[in-house]
Amino acid sequence: MDLVDLIVEKRFLGQEFLSWLWYKSEERGGTVLVEESGEDIQLIFEKHMLLEYGEGESLEKVVCQGLQSELKEARTGLRQGKKLEQARIHMVRGEYEWHMTIKASLLEFRSVKVPKTLDSADEGDDDEAVEGRLLDRIGMLETAYKTIDQLLLQFIKIRISSQWPEELSRLSAWIHKG
Amino acid sequence: MGLLSASATFVRYQVLGDPPANFWDLVADKVSRFAFKDIDDTYDEFSIGWVSVMNMFDAEFAYASYGVADYVCLTMRVDERKVSPKVLKKFCLKEEERIKRERQIPKLNRHQKLEIKENMQLMLMKKAVPVPATYDLIWNLSDSSLLFFSTNQKAQELLEDFFKDTFELHLMLQVPYNLAESMLDTAGRQALANISPAVLV
Repeated sequence: MDLVDLIVEKRFLGQEFLSWLWYKSEERGGTVLVEESGEDIQLIFEKHMLLEYGEGESLEKVVCQGLQSELKEARTGLRQGKKLEQARIHMVRGEYEWHMTIKASLLEFRSVKVPKTLDSADEGDDDEAVEGRLLDRIGMLETAYKTIDQLLLQFIKIRISSQWPEELSRLSAWIHKG
Repeated sequence: MGLLSASATFVRYQVLGDPPANFWDLVADKVSRFAFKDIDDTYDEFSIGWVSVMNMFDAEFAYASYGVADYVCLTMRVDERKVSPKVLKKFCLKEEERIKRERQIPKLNRHQKLEIKENMQLMLMKKAVPVPATYDLIWNLSDSSLLFFSTNQKAQELLEDFFKDTFELHLMLQVPYNLAESMLDTAGRQALANISPAVLV
């Protein structure tokens, strides 16, 4: 299957993942276990969500904005069969915090704010300092997307296993709970 | 929204195929051959090339500044002269009126109009200032992953072609499905191929 067909036909996978991630986040009050490292991280869905309904020319988009506890419109949208396509996430891993918007179907990372690790006083303009700053920033971006990869793998392993019907019924129950 | 901006936006690629063993020896030649060439003082319509992520006017890469530890950091710069369709239409109409008055004819034929359009396009293109656009990338050589800091589809297509021209390696956009495939074993990939959309409610 070529990439264009893959993107259209498997669009649902990223959207299911993002809905599942929201459920996992709320299940433990914003804490999600990254199984690969055995580490608990904070993952909070906040402020902005975009849901989709329909396909092709009849595709409709709904934007929901509000604080984390007020994303009831988005949950109602899920209940009506709309798909979660984009969400703003606040992630805390170890002592660092990230803010990022994830576009589910293509797994695009948008408006990623990485933690600032150097005091401005430590920053110089010589080649070594510039390289250090660049590496620091690359490292922070990599941590963000690699964490999401680890969670994607966690979801996929459940999704293709015999545990999925049970996980799906828990996810549905959470959506209905509103 | 690039690598160094306060909030970064990116998509991910996998670089297909292995870079040659003496990659760092070759990269200097490849990057300099495909470095950005300024078109401010020419009449070229389009220019694409590599510049430093720190400075869009640096296409020299002193001390191999694109190499940062195990990463290749580059900016793809695209300069393009553009003429707005509205401006072109205005100048065409103006010129048509001038010729009609000069020759005292009521209207021009199709061939004359086309000729005017071509001439106006050329004249305006020469006057247009090239508009620059820059797109950062980070290529991690240890796992062949690449971050490209734009979600613009046209920019992504330009990158895919220009990267192949420069490094003779193909790029594959990473979306959830092929990313999941790359993390699973054969049995897992087969199971993944068989799933269909779930009804969440």
